[in-house]
Amino acid sequence: MALSVCSIRKAYGTRPVLRNVDLAVPGGQAVCLFGINGAGKSTLLRIVAGLLRPDGGDVTINEHDVRKHPEAAKQQLGMISHASMAYPELTVHENLTFAARLYGVPNRMERIEELLAGTELAPFRHDRAAILSRGLLQRLAIARALLHRPTVLLADEPFTGLDAGASDRLLAIFDRFVRDGGSILMTTHDTRMGVRCCQRVAVLDKGVLILDAMKDQIDSDRFADDYLSYARSKS
Amino acid sequence: MKDLWRGLRAILVKDIAVELRARQVLPTMVVLGMLIVFILRMASESGSASAGAPVMGAAALWIAFLFSGLLAQERSFASEQQNGCIDGLLLAPLDVGTIYLAKLLANVIVLTIFEAIVVPIVMMSFNLHVAGGWLGLAIVLLLGNVGISSIGTLFSAAVQLTRTRGSLLSIVVLVILMPMMIPASFALLVLFGAMPDHAAGSSPFAFVGSFHAAVGYMLAFDAVFVVACWLLFGIVVEE
Amino acid sequence: MRRLLFALAFVLLIVSTWIGLTEGQIVPVARNILYVHVPNSVCALLCFVVLLAASIGYLTTGRQAWDLAAVASAEVGFVFATILNATGMLFSRAEWNIWWTPSPRLVTSAILWFLYAVYLILRVSLPGSRHRNARICAVFGILAFLDVPLVFVSARFIPDIHRPSFSLDSAWQTAALMLGMAGTALLAGALIWLRTSLLRGSLSLEEELLH
Repeated sequence: MALSVCSIRKAYGTRPVLRNVDLAVPGGQAVCLFGINGAGKSTLLRIVAGLLRPDGGDVTINEHDVRKHPEAAKQQLGMISHASMAYPELTVHENLTFAARLYGVPNRMERIEELLAGTELAPFRHDRAAILSRGLLQRLAIARALLHRPTVLLADEPFTGLDAGASDRLLAIFDRFVRDGGSILMTTHDTRMGVRCCQRVAVLDKGVLILDAMKDQIDSDRFADDYLSYARSKS
Repeated sequence: MKDLWRGLRAILVKDIAVELRARQVLPTMVVLGMLIVFILRMASESGSASAGAPVMGAAALWIAFLFSGLLAQERSFASEQQNGCIDGLLLAPLDVGTIYLAKLLANVIVLTIFEAIVVPIVMMSFNLHVAGGWLGLAIVLLLGNVGISSIGTLFSAAVQLTRTRGSLLSIVVLVILMPMMIPASFALLVLFGAMPDHAAGSSPFAFVGSFHAAVGYMLAFDAVFVVACWLLFGIVVEE
Repeated sequence: MRRLLFALAFVLLIVSTWIGLTEGQIVPVARNILYVHVPNSVCALLCFVVLLAASIGYLTTGRQAWDLAAVASAEVGFVFATILNATGMLFSRAEWNIWWTPSPRLVTSAILWFLYAVYLILRVSLPGSRHRNARICAVFGILAFLDVPLVFVSARFIPDIHRPSFSLDSAWQTAALMLGMAGTALLAGALIWLRTSLLRGSLSLEEELLH
């Protein structure tokens, strides 16, 4: 199992955020996690990435426990979050070089060129991250996340703020990643994009998974409408 | 072991590159240091200035060093606050202690550059002579440097990542550093010829007047706090 | 149980004071402040040990009770450190006619006071989640404790111009001092206990109100 989340519990003080969440994602599958704000999606993602410590339960990535063997687990993990994790003073190329060094990527220069081409960032390679637009920063974040050839990709609301062209590009990258055997766990509010790129959908409500089904088991159109009315009723 | 070095080098090089590009902290530190020296020089211009010069000079040096040193500590994690870069470091397959050591080294280097510029200025302002030898001065300054950086790097992560006033970092670092300042000041006074060095002839605990004991103490202090901060760093940088 | 501790502490302190005022009086009179100064200095250090234990306890178990005990011991220790410094200065003024001088004892007392003061400020000023702040304060508590022996050693670099030249001659004086120390130590323990439960009480009240 590429990504295995077992009985994850997290509470902030007396307020529970995640209650016994179980999720197993095999290789070659993309899971889209929906939920209203405050449902615990980002918290779950951060726990899976090893950035946050859960109160109970464990996360394993390709049989490596994130807390017990963090280095082995993190080597296989890539994350795209709201923030680009790019240093504004450094150029695109320098940011990627730094990430490549951190992960010990072999044939560093070639791999960076590969990703610059794949995300169409090559013309901007010597531009400092400070002057990049949101879309370009997003592409940099993607390149950074894929640099070390992870097998599991986490994406926290990756389509937010992207125009149609950028969204399609991201979709293509995700598709190829899954076809190559990788697993994706993403969170999003965009039901259309989410359902399009994933094979499996799940909904988190107040820290509990209230739905976890393969896409072909549910009616996708109905799901989108149902989810929207559910989300509206909650706010 | 090789992994540790790889990660450490990557972060160190990145930190220095960012600092050189941003060009903020070092000039500010140097100017602050010079201003402090200037003020203290003016403040001591009363009566037998030359007689008290080594004492005032040593005091000026440490005060400039401490306050500018605190500025240096604040920068450690300032660059990691933007764009969630700290997450980028924490996601990497690195031991958290490696991040600490890399940041510590970066601070020590920045502070050394500062010392190289400001210490000669202090010596010139107060007309000091290094009676005890330049090597001794370099060692004392380095040990003081490591001392303030070891504590500052740790608490900079603790305080900085939650966006508080820098004054909080200052009081924390200063209070823990305080015991080291006693032998440090004493060592400087001996180096500038203001106090005679009674070599530890009598008992090994006759610290009063022994330059070697002072340096030994600073070394021990640094060792204790570098190790302690390195071990505790993981707790502080976690969310 | 706690009331018993308080009662015992007060009894010991009263007895110690009574002996100190009568049979155990030190000559000259001003020196009697030692009966307050010495127990306080021992207790200021004791509270630090409690602070260390509580900090380590919190970091290893994550249970809030330890964190509250740390705060309580810092507050009580701060009070003792303040009294310690004040009585130290009074003694110094009476004996040698100066309020303060960088002598080992006075410097050590001062740094101890500063360590407590910074801990309390950190406690109050750190923004962020309560758990993160508690962890940071616990880390500070451990480092501050590591500092204490270093303070004692570094104080040896200061020439001790005024060496305290007194000794306790009579058994009565020793008894008074010992009782005073025991009483103050018990008082410190009881106060920390009381303060911890007060903190726990106000915390649970806060949480109830929020829900």
